Amino acid sequence: MPNASDTERTLVAAATAPAGRRVPARAVRMLAFTVCAALILSWPGLAPNPYILSAGVMVASYACTATAWNFMGGFTGYVSLGHAAFFGLGAYGTGVLIRDLDWPPFAAWLAAGVIVVLITVPVGIAALRVRGASFVIVSIAFVLILLLVAQTWQDLTGGSDGLVVPRPFPDLSRPEHHRAFFYLFVALLAVMLLAWWAIDRSRFGTGLKAVREDEDKAQALGVPTRNYKLVAYLISAFFTGLSGGMYALWFGDLDPIFQFSVLLGAYMVLMALLGGVRHLYGPLLGALIVGGALEYFELEFGGTQLHLVAAAVLLGVVVLVTPDGIIPAVRDLVRRFGPQDSSIREMTAAELLAHNRASGRGGPPPDEAPDEAAAPGTGEER
Amino acid sequence: MSGSLLFQSLVLGVLLGGLYALLAAGLTLYFGVMRVVMIAHSAFLILAAYLAWYFNDQTGWDPLLSLFVTVPLFFAAGVGMQRLLIARLRPATLTMMSVLLTFAVALLIEGMIGLIWSGTQRRIQLPYSGSNVEFFGASIAVVKLVAFVLAGASLGLLYLLLTKSRFGRALRATIQHKEAAQLVGIKTDRVAGLGFGLGLATAAVGGTALALDATIYPSLHWHWVGPLMAIIVVGGLGSVPGTAIAAMVLGIGQSLLQVEFGTTWAQTLFYIALFVTLMVRPQGFFGGRLAQRF
Amino acid sequence: MTAHEPPRSLETVDLTKSFGGVRAVDGATVTFRHGRINALIGPNGSGKTTFFNCVTGMIRPDAGTVTYRGQQITGRPPHRIARAGIGRSFQLCRVFPRMTVLENMLVAVRPAGLRDLVGGAGSPAETDKARRLLVRVGIDHLENVEAANLSYGQQKLLELAGVLMGDPDTIMLDEPAGGVNPALIGRIGTLIRELNDEGKTFLVVEHNMDMVMSLSHHVVVFDRGRPIAEGTPSAVRADPRVLEAYLGI
Repeated sequence: MPNASDTERTLVAAATAPAGRRVPARAVRMLAFTVCAALILSWPGLAPNPYILSAGVMVASYACTATAWNFMGGFTGYVSLGHAAFFGLGAYGTGVLIRDLDWPPFAAWLAAGVIVVLITVPVGIAALRVRGASFVIVSIAFVLILLLVAQTWQDLTGGSDGLVVPRPFPDLSRPEHHRAFFYLFVALLAVMLLAWWAIDRSRFGTGLKAVREDEDKAQALGVPTRNYKLVAYLISAFFTGLSGGMYALWFGDLDPIFQFSVLLGAYMVLMALLGGVRHLYGPLLGALIVGGALEYFELEFGGTQLHLVAAAVLLGVVVLVTPDGIIPAVRDLVRRFGPQDSSIREMTAAELLAHNRASGRGGPPPDEAPDEAAAPGTGEER
Repeated sequence: MSGSLLFQSLVLGVLLGGLYALLAAGLTLYFGVMRVVMIAHSAFLILAAYLAWYFNDQTGWDPLLSLFVTVPLFFAAGVGMQRLLIARLRPATLTMMSVLLTFAVALLIEGMIGLIWSGTQRRIQLPYSGSNVEFFGASIAVVKLVAFVLAGASLGLLYLLLTKSRFGRALRATIQHKEAAQLVGIKTDRVAGLGFGLGLATAAVGGTALALDATIYPSLHWHWVGPLMAIIVVGGLGSVPGTAIAAMVLGIGQSLLQVEFGTTWAQTLFYIALFVTLMVRPQGFFGGRLAQRF
Repeated sequence: MTAHEPPRSLETVDLTKSFGGVRAVDGATVTFRHGRINALIGPNGSGKTTFFNCVTGMIRPDAGTVTYRGQQITGRPPHRIARAGIGRSFQLCRVFPRMTVLENMLVAVRPAGLRDLVGGAGSPAETDKARRLLVRVGIDHLENVEAANLSYGQQKLLELAGVLMGDPDTIMLDEPAGGVNPALIGRIGTLIRELNDEGKTFLVVEHNMDMVMSLSHHVVVFDRGRPIAEGTPSAVRADPRVLEAYLGI
């Protein structure tokens, strides 16, 4: 066996050699980032009319919620269909604090985020007692119960008459109002992306990803999975709550049916999944596509149920065809048809072996072959 | 609360619990054979109710007759859904992805109902809609009684099928230990498909029973998802008798609370029960060995 | 304890776990001594893996106690037991498929409270340690490859290296030789022996009798959920009860 690994190692060195070409890739990435950021930031200037501008604000709020959802869904693999609960709590929390306690709008907004976290602690503890299915059930149940309560508790929420949230900037005209909130949402999104990026490379993030891949194994390696999951859930709830609060400040009129909507939670999942839950920009990309489509449907078909059918079909297709999302799918395509990138990062062991064999510099010893043939099972089904 | 009122709501609770039990049995079947939480179950329930209404609306015949169409149709749809959709998912992420897939199906059904029959509220008018029977001083609507008999009979049939038939034994073996069932020669894929078919058949029966007595509209299924999910967790995921008991207890509880606090707050009973179950006994109160890992 | 025996490492008393009506582990009382390579053998279904799972906290036993270095660890959550110094591998190797080899290693880094939220996955020292362990098992050249793309043998080595990352005193391996080629079996055996020389206690479930007999100091034979015989490899091999249970003679 030492022989085998020795040969492999020399060949890896050979394969790594042209890795110097990764520098342009980084430059391309920086350029792409700058262009995208510039495009997003110049949207209010590009939008032809206030309606389109407000659609942009809506899409930005979708991007926020989808990215917030991904703190739980992407890192741990626990799919929550009830994140609209946090959105609604954040929205109503902000609205009620301003209306009843006369708090300054953005203090109320932050406080509502904290309240969401406090409410989420017991829910999270209950939901994370057991794995998988029960978590989903609790997540849906939570949003349904809040919908019931919000509809019934008219004194607090105004029920279906709605709750009017005073505008934070009363002096602004409507387009200026949209523009201000577009930038506020983008700023919130930037904070989330930064947090996601930091967690992604942290020890905490590594633990969460281990939970997603194999929870038993993570526990056996000493990861305090329950606490990690709970913290991820709280962070996710906090940011979703902030998105909801921001929405309340922007839109100014809340109705339980729309704030505590299972559909909204489903949109978050769809967006994140479509883009790719394991990628920083996945939810953002998904939100641009799905959010854009939703706004288009709203404009074209208005009150019909067609958007429901379209969302359902899209969700089904994503789950069946690209459960890993667009970003990895595109990356695979690029890798297959794009320029040959021989950096070791992009090379799998199997490809390495193929590479080794092709270059005729010695293949694996015969006894290694059966191992290669055997699919590396993850042992998930026990 | 007076004695007769108490008795009245107790009887109504039992009638409601019967319907819950039948529907929860369907959910238990899906979960048992495939470890799938079937969000679309109540959407199919409402679809069946719409079909019963449409059948009655078009033909003028008794909506119960629509069962002869919907039950086979739903059974086939269930088998198809398992074979064509659920079976395609990767085993490693089956639980989560199947939730999303069935959620998509639920949305699709809700959207299609809305497109075809619009969002208008519908209600079946029957010659016996307004009639009541006296039952030890309690006044019970005939339609509720019919619905209960229908649900009870179906549940009984299902129970007999599961315990007495060859297929039932294969199904229970698959639920208990899939690999072991495969080892003794049970074609678990086929069994899983048929289990799904049976599950959807319960939705067909339940929907027809519901249509007799309820005003229906496309998004009604969300009112059923929560309670049914709570029932299967309280009963212990994967245990048919467990969920039946939980359904009865919670159905009666809801009915009793309704008198005092109104419909909305009575509904919260389910969520409180769900919460308490997870905190105190996450594997469910009645059986439910499977739940620990899921 | 007699004078020349090493101190007790892991002990179970009357450990019991049933599934449905089947007692997978049935009143198992076993003592493993420090610094030894202990083997756990027995026919399929004799409860070895369930015993493992009860000891490491993956399953809560119905009755009985597990003691590690004099401390009760029964029913503690798995990550606490891991941090107490018991590392384990799984039957049919399990790695984190969509994480790189290095990330796989860093999962086992000791949590540091709130500091986990910021900063890298591992400190420079921890990353160094991970790399050294990868060199030791011979897969360091693959550190940036996603684990799903490793061969089965490489995954086995990665799993072992990951267990070592947590600095366990006692290492429980569930069929380390299962499904790997003879050359690799030899290599894993050598690794186990080296690590044992460095003071690690081993608890190995294994079906490969050559490996068990050549490697272990102490063999415990399981049948129907409890130990039926134990002793040195040669003593166990000669025990008629073992032949009866194990070989069905």
